Amino acid sequence: MVGPPYDCLANPLGAVRLTFEKAIGSGSHPSSFDGKDWGTVDLFRHFLFDQSHLSQVPILNLATIRWIQPNTLVRFRGMIQDMLGNEFYVGAYKDGSVWRTNKYMDFSQFPIGSSPGSRVWERRLLYCVPVPGINSWAESASEVAIDGCMNWTSQQRDKRGRMDFEAMDAKDFPVSGSNFEDSPSAKRMKEDGQDYKTEAACSGTTVVSEIDKDSFPCLVKIYDSPESELKLNDVFEFVGVLTFDSEIPAEKGDHDEFCNDYCDDDLVHLPSSKVPRLHCIIHRKLAAHDFLHTSPIIEKPHWVKDVRESLLKHLTDVLGNDGVAAHYMLLHLLSRVHSRVDNVAVGKLSLNITCLSKESVSVFGTQLSLAIKNLLPFSTCIPLTVEYLSRSSLAPKKDYQTNRLIPGVLQLAEGSHLIIDETQLETGTLNSVGVDNARLLRNLIEFQKVEYDFTYYKMEMTADVQLLILSEGKSNILPADIIMPFQPSSVGSSEVVATKALEAWRWYLATVRSLPHSIESEMQKVVEDDLVAARQTDRSIGSQDFSRWLTMGRLISSSFGETSLSLEHWQMVKELERQRRERLK
Amino acid sequence: MASDSSPAPFNNGPSSPDDSLSSPIGNTFSSPAADNSRRNRRRGRSTTPSAFATPPPPQSRFATSESTPTPQRSRSIPRQAAVSTPSSASEGLPSSEGGDDMDEATPTFVWGTNISVQDVKSAIHMFLKHFRDNNQSQGTEIFEEGKYMKAIHRVLEIEGEWLDVDAHDVFGYDSDLYTKMVRYPLEVLAIFDIVLMDIVSLINPLFEKHVQVRIYNLKTSTTMRSLNPSDIEKMVSLKGMIIRCSSIIPEIREAIFRCLVCGYFSDPIVVDRGRINEPTVCMKQECLARNSMTLVHNRCRFADKQIVRLQETPDEIPEGGTPHTVSLLMHDKLVDAGKPGDRVEVTGIYRAMCVRVGPTQRTVKSLFKTYIDCLHIKKTDKSRMLAEDPMEIDNGSRRMEEDVQFDEVKIHQLKELSRQPDIYDRLTKSLAPNIWELDDVKRGLLCQLFGGNALKLPSGASFRGDVNILLVGDPGTSKSQLLQYIHKLSPRGIYTSGRGSSAVGLTAYVSKDPETGETVLESGALVLSDRGICCIDEFDKMSENARSMLHEVMEQQTVSIAKAGIIASLNARTSVLACANPIGSRYNPRLSVIDNIHLPPTLLSRFDLIYLILDKADEQTDRHLAKHIVSLHFENPEIAQQDVLDIATLTAYVSYARKHIQPKLSDEAAEELTRGYVEMRRRGNFPGSTKKVITATPRQIESLIRLSEALARIRLSEWVEKHDVIEAFRLLEVAMQQSATDHSTGTIDMDLITTGVSASERMRRENLVSATRNIIMEKLQLGGPSVRLLELLDELKKQSSTSEVHLQDLRNAVATLAGEGFVVFHGDSVKRV
Repeated sequence: MVGPPYDCLANPLGAVRLTFEKAIGSGSHPSSFDGKDWGTVDLFRHFLFDQSHLSQVPILNLATIRWIQPNTLVRFRGMIQDMLGNEFYVGAYKDGSVWRTNKYMDFSQFPIGSSPGSRVWERRLLYCVPVPGINSWAESASEVAIDGCMNWTSQQRDKRGRMDFEAMDAKDFPVSGSNFEDSPSAKRMKEDGQDYKTEAACSGTTVVSEIDKDSFPCLVKIYDSPESELKLNDVFEFVGVLTFDSEIPAEKGDHDEFCNDYCDDDLVHLPSSKVPRLHCIIHRKLAAHDFLHTSPIIEKPHWVKDVRESLLKHLTDVLGNDGVAAHYMLLHLLSRVHSRVDNVAVGKLSLNITCLSKESVSVFGTQLSLAIKNLLPFSTCIPLTVEYLSRSSLAPKKDYQTNRLIPGVLQLAEGSHLIIDETQLETGTLNSVGVDNARLLRNLIEFQKVEYDFTYYKMEMTADVQLLILSEGKSNILPADIIMPFQPSSVGSSEVVATKALEAWRWYLATVRSLPHSIESEMQKVVEDDLVAARQTDRSIGSQDFSRWLTMGRLISSSFGETSLSLEHWQMVKELERQRRERLK
Repeated sequence: MASDSSPAPFNNGPSSPDDSLSSPIGNTFSSPAADNSRRNRRRGRSTTPSAFATPPPPQSRFATSESTPTPQRSRSIPRQAAVSTPSSASEGLPSSEGGDDMDEATPTFVWGTNISVQDVKSAIHMFLKHFRDNNQSQGTEIFEEGKYMKAIHRVLEIEGEWLDVDAHDVFGYDSDLYTKMVRYPLEVLAIFDIVLMDIVSLINPLFEKHVQVRIYNLKTSTTMRSLNPSDIEKMVSLKGMIIRCSSIIPEIREAIFRCLVCGYFSDPIVVDRGRINEPTVCMKQECLARNSMTLVHNRCRFADKQIVRLQETPDEIPEGGTPHTVSLLMHDKLVDAGKPGDRVEVTGIYRAMCVRVGPTQRTVKSLFKTYIDCLHIKKTDKSRMLAEDPMEIDNGSRRMEEDVQFDEVKIHQLKELSRQPDIYDRLTKSLAPNIWELDDVKRGLLCQLFGGNALKLPSGASFRGDVNILLVGDPGTSKSQLLQYIHKLSPRGIYTSGRGSSAVGLTAYVSKDPETGETVLESGALVLSDRGICCIDEFDKMSENARSMLHEVMEQQTVSIAKAGIIASLNARTSVLACANPIGSRYNPRLSVIDNIHLPPTLLSRFDLIYLILDKADEQTDRHLAKHIVSLHFENPEIAQQDVLDIATLTAYVSYARKHIQPKLSDEAAEELTRGYVEMRRRGNFPGSTKKVITATPRQIESLIRLSEALARIRLSEWVEKHDVIEAFRLLEVAMQQSATDHSTGTIDMDLITTGVSASERMRRENLVSATRNIIMEKLQLGGPSVRLLELLDELKKQSSTSEVHLQDLRNAVATLAGEGFVVFHGDSVKRV
């Protein structure tokens, strides 16, 4: 084949159909496709990644939903917020003597029902939302890509789309032409198709009006992928076909109320006018650096160190010239849970900045949260007050009436940053919700786990959240790994940072965080000796302190872009801890 | 093929939930029809639809006149089929070969199954007539009726509406029938019903009720997650938790119409594929008015229906997933059999139903809604089915309480494991492998996990089998980790922190239901962990009040409530695992355990084992700790963990042992126990001491029995051997030597735990009191001036040069004297009265 006779972008279903026909044509029976792909994924993978058309695929969001046509290829970036189970559909059926497929479609375009031997396949339904706490720069990264392709697609779509339809028709009919059903059905189909299109376009306009402005959920239908691949709270990019159910709300009258009772339509609560459907062809997990605009090229060998220095300088400025705090802040921003042994989440480094009063928090706290917003893709801030604790629902809760998981504040994507401002906290009585919430926060900070409430039982989900606590004294509600008394010497400067520097820092944080790390056996000996010696002199040092030092050692050496702990960096850890201990006295 | 009227299961789908009770009958009629169609098909495909085009006369199980015609009619069918039996048998093979292809989506295959109605019928007949339980005595076999014949008689006696059939029995009697039943449940069950009704009408021709068959206890049970399209229209068995029940839906079975013009009542019209066909013309010859018929609601027949949502049990959910749910359709007696929150095991037929685009449209979406047509429901946590089912009760003992099923292979593995000579050490090592050393503590915890035998005497006295353990230790000695670990491992563990627990939170409290105003009992942690382990962290920080609640729980194993009109005694057969910090956060070896932990001795004596986990400044342990944490952080496989059982095996081992092993004391062991106990008591009687020190109390011997039983259980042994007892003594001694060492004498002193003061200490105090009394007698006049305490202290020191006397001791002594009315004690001054 010279070039594909279809347009993967504007008419992905045409491509699906073509590959299906090709596979059938090569002698396979549809039953061999049960839970398998027949080459569509390869085709799209080739198209998107090998030919790098991915950037031309529009990203589905509030802005783009206005003009994106249904049945075109879109991508959606979001977090898996809930899983709605599996759905059975007629995957392949015989229309006359021709096999057709419904894969990646909500409706069959040809009447089914009568056909014997149709294959029933299943697909998974995932309810996805934009990543909670996503910062504007990470979003705009995607926006740019759209602008680039917007013109392109809008030019092409009309012409291309029609051509394609015709091309497909032309291609389809010779095959079925030998059949007894000739042009009438073809006409009908064509009309159907057009009707369908206009109808969908109509509902497309209603979509905009009804969608919740704050969140833009999307129901993603996943085909043929192992269950373990997609997990709750993972951040994914889904590339697939956008469709709208043509279910008109008026149609579900009394009949449905009875019918829904036992089918318990999860979808009733998610009408397509509110939640667009995406039939996912290809999905990939996103890491922090997928949200960056550009990846800077490392020019010099010292480049990482330079970026580190400039970032440290920036943090020092933000923290009112407190160098030690800035060092800890840098390590904190780089931390992540890299392994779990039993109940211990290894690698977390929560930071508690103390000695902040209500007044100073308005200066430094705002600056700090602004700086973090600019550096990390996902960040959230919780003002910890008695009222907040007693009122808010931190843990996600299952609502059995709608069969949905109601999101809570603590349902966060991996690698999110969470600031908890405890300076607002005053004395008061917590109600039972408050006590529960306080316990949840404590579990999160200690074990990096969040309990999801399933009414009849609780289920623990692992999390990887960087926690920064701002408080006046040492926080007892949230025992952080590091207590850092804050000693600013000047009011933080709020200078505007160059975009280029910001981008470099973001890239630095995203990359350095995921560096692998190891330890040489000699160094291990030194570390062990140091730990033993420290414990011999001070019996109050326990495993938690050891753990903290080792995490810090790992993070310090990664912050220099190195992958194994050196003596120099180990000394730095000890020096930092000494300085911190001084302050604690 | 006829497109819309075809009874293909999917099109049939929407109808069958509405009509699932009558549909099996419908299917029966169509299965012979299918038989026809298969033969027809061989001749020529074109005639196939005709088999379907003539739907069988609609009949319902509920039609009163039906019981006789039905068997008659079905009896005539096999005769038809009999002609083709040889051919259908030969044809049965190829179609069963294509069994994989035989997806329910292909109606030709579904109807053209390899089921020969007659074969199945006779097989079922044989099964019902002749099946006998293996455990029924062999000799009387011939004279006695089969298990199910007896059951049928019983059903007739109590006028029941169903007969429960254990699928295991079916399998054991005729595995071929079982396979057919699971694969084509609709057809086979319909035949089953017919056969059953035949038998019933033979026994009692006047029996009017329709008896249905309910299958339960399938050989294999599916997980909800693994249900896939190939399971559609098959019999499945699922475990799950009910999360939602709909209200009861009255479902129409028979409709009666009345003509508005002439008032003529139509004959009952039976639901046909989920629809009632409203007559368009009045049937009365004289009237024949068009569109005049109206439904008469109160003359129609309705049946109960309920839709229940079943959710996966938490342990089936993979990491990073949310639970799946499935809808269940319940009919008649099954309605309200389960409430939300119940864990049930459900047997039913997995069905799919296509979704119509609109209520009036015949076109359907390509989607399916799936549900399970429920045949049988069993509450798993009660280990028996519906309360009124008599047969299930004797089967109940087979079921595991904790939902852990042990198949033969697993049991064999566990037994194999238990035969290893080092099983005790291996288990010890496998327990919390990330916490090193503390081996004796782990052994104690192991004993707690396995537990002893609870004993209830006919006189009503009961002895607990649960081992209670208290860990006292310095901060940072991984007590909490041990607790967390045990909590995760134990069958029904509850983890609380002493600081956050109140008395009612631990036991039970009475609250008023805001809606109904009824008072209800809410269980606390201890009641909830009945037959489990209740882990209480920071025991020392618990309020006095809360702790006193534990007294009852730890010895009597009940929680008694008497408030707000509710007097109740709840079971709390729980082992308590508590950990505490010493009073000054670090253990002070100069003080006694009681002073260190600051717990009331009454409570302390209820712990079987009290471990002191002291953080000794030992370089070796520190190095071990450092190594461990370094390897934790750098993923260094330094600490080889071979020879360690994984947590699943460990749990299985523990629960198997707890369930199936009830060790008894051997004579030898009992002798050793007595000998050891006597020895322990005698040890207190050390030479040179005038006062006898009680070293062991009867509570200790109970502890020892429990421990040795637990040790026998560890070996999966039914007998407690002598070495178990010796090990139990060793464990007790290891724990006691640390905790009950009297630091002034160096011997084990149980008094220290029971009263908080050691015998020698008590003697010293008495000496001090008498010395003080002497001094006061000497120095002070009756009613004379008062003396400062410090002066008295000087005097005492002068008199007794040997022992050191502290001001505090003296103060206590003077307070004792004041209590006797010998002196008046005011602030610092003492005055004789």
